Amino acid sequence: MSFLQAILDGLLIGGVYAVISIGLTLVYGVMGIVNFAQAEFLTIGMFTAWFAWAFLGLDPVLAAPLSFAVAFAIGWVVQGQLIARVLAAPSVAQIFLTVGLLIVIENGSLLLFGSQFRSVTTSYQTMSLSLGPLFISIPYLIAFAMSLACGVALWWFMRASWFGRAMRATAQNPAAAKLMGIDTALMYKMAFALGVGLTAFGGAVILPYVTVYPGVGGQFVVLMFTVVVLGGLGSVAGAVVGGLAVGVIQSLSSLFFPIQLQNLVLFIVFILVLAVRPQGLVGASR
Amino acid sequence: MSNNHSLGSAGVNRRALLSGTAAVLASPFVLSSARAEAAPVNVGVIMPLSGPNAQFGINSRNGIELVADEINTAGGIAELGGARINLVVADATSTPTTAGTVAQRLITQQDMTAVLGAFVSSLTIAISEVTERRDIPLLTMSFADQITGRGYKNIFQVVAKASVIGKAQFEYTAAIAQAAGARIEKIAIMYEDTAYGTAQANGLRAGAKAANVEIVMDDAYPLGITDTTPLINKLRGSGAQAVFPVSYLNDSLLIIRTMRQQKLTIPAIGGAAGYVIPDFEKGLGEFAENVLSIDTSNYDLAPQLTERFRKRFGYFMVHEALEHAVCLEVLVQAIRKAKSAKAEDVAAALRGAKFTGGWINGMTGGAVQFDQTGLNVLSVPLMVQWRGKDIVTVWPKDIAKSAPVWRS
Repeated sequence: MSFLQAILDGLLIGGVYAVISIGLTLVYGVMGIVNFAQAEFLTIGMFTAWFAWAFLGLDPVLAAPLSFAVAFAIGWVVQGQLIARVLAAPSVAQIFLTVGLLIVIENGSLLLFGSQFRSVTTSYQTMSLSLGPLFISIPYLIAFAMSLACGVALWWFMRASWFGRAMRATAQNPAAAKLMGIDTALMYKMAFALGVGLTAFGGAVILPYVTVYPGVGGQFVVLMFTVVVLGGLGSVAGAVVGGLAVGVIQSLSSLFFPIQLQNLVLFIVFILVLAVRPQGLVGASR
Repeated sequence: MSNNHSLGSAGVNRRALLSGTAAVLASPFVLSSARAEAAPVNVGVIMPLSGPNAQFGINSRNGIELVADEINTAGGIAELGGARINLVVADATSTPTTAGTVAQRLITQQDMTAVLGAFVSSLTIAISEVTERRDIPLLTMSFADQITGRGYKNIFQVVAKASVIGKAQFEYTAAIAQAAGARIEKIAIMYEDTAYGTAQANGLRAGAKAANVEIVMDDAYPLGITDTTPLINKLRGSGAQAVFPVSYLNDSLLIIRTMRQQKLTIPAIGGAAGYVIPDFEKGLGEFAENVLSIDTSNYDLAPQLTERFRKRFGYFMVHEALEHAVCLEVLVQAIRKAKSAKAEDVAAALRGAKFTGGWINGMTGGAVQFDQTGLNVLSVPLMVQWRGKDIVTVWPKDIAKSAPVWRS
């Protein structure tokens, strides 16, 4: 029974890992840039939701679209003004830019908001559903459901909308896409803004159970990279599979080992997967 | 990635250090330009002002600033011709290696009479290695046994050691339960795996063993944990009648919330730190009510003193603020006694003597006396319990302000 409980908890947590990591994989998939500052947009999303809760009385889950919008706007500007300049530059320049961005955002939020922890109080924070002997934590369930909804919306957007198709065309062959009349610069802005927006959205929905402070992104950054590389860098479906896998591995490992070894087990599995399938679980199908 | 992050926080340290230094350097000039100036007494204050433990560092700094300002407004240290206390505040971050570097830089740049810090035991240990080398007294309220257990000459711990605190955490709980007619046979321990949590867990184990109580769960977890569900799943299956979590703030909120989610209502008896600051109640609301925690001092033991803190900062005087105030009080008394601000004279004056009065009235034992290892032998732990937005001393009986509530 504790086995089932662990899988359930792992899936719920993993759904959120998936949605915060989709952004990272999306940006890489479309532009070929690894955004090291991605996790900082999680922090931005969390702060946005916290302020919306503290001053507007908005539940963090309802504030998630607002977090998405704020990060989307910031991402739009960052892509247009900064990242666009290094798209054709050597990858070292790209790394320096996004790492620099990470430092600026982290220290900027430290300067603006201070270093203290901020936590929200919501009615459902301490509630759970009982399913026979199993407990389903309500905040985890809500975060999972929101992530799922967000993932489905993205899937629809990428499959069915003109913008989504144009974005995929840009990812496959920028030159050909341009010849077909697609504004690739716009597509890049869209992809980057969408990517960081999704991560910020994930930040808002986890706020009921994670406290926010300027360094909180650092708690997730390694996990995010593990998720996308495990699933296959650049693949959105891969991020979903990777996210769920990471959640379940972490949760199951704590059944057999001390919780401190949670990430050790995760990385052993990670290394093994990469040794057998270097392209990740789902592979490089962009 | 960890490199990038330490790169990031290094920038903050420097800035925080500079602005902090500038601010404290400037204030005595503003206040005292009229009088003939005695050389100020430099006191280093190294605290975690960023990272996961920043809140505790800020609380501690507030306590120290309150005392320093009061002494300076009252004319400084008369024995040194009215010398003012010049606090040099530095950010230790929440990483021990950085704390050591910051201490090194602080001591190299200026003549320090003493250093106060750094709340988090693992940071204090890192700093103490530097201050010991340079023969500068370090006064601390960190808990870990290691602090005074290494034979250092220049370290002074004003509170009881973690193993003693952990033992009391168990024994007081057993006594409170017994007074309510309950008997504890099975307990669970969970602790964050730094110097503080590990040492206090040792004390808990020793206490439980001596009382023949079975420990059905004994789990460490990493600092900065974001999901405590596996721990609580395990706790639920363990059949424990009480749980003893030793944690800082973020983890304490997670543990209590996840327990409530899983409808676990067994008493949780916190290990100070995250369980005894206003943010705990802010984060948990009604679920904080009646949560017990061990502590090393409490503001309700000396309300006439600690109200000054509440008036200035707007929240109750948390124990780290109070004990750091005591650190500075003891230091100033030693300076007065030595009639010198030289580090070695002050260290000599600190050893062996008994300090009383002023902020020391807020300590259990009513006085401070260091043994040859630098440990204050008079400090005893106490148990507090949340009542609304306040914590109240409920054990031991002779100093309790209110009777404990026990619900098993």
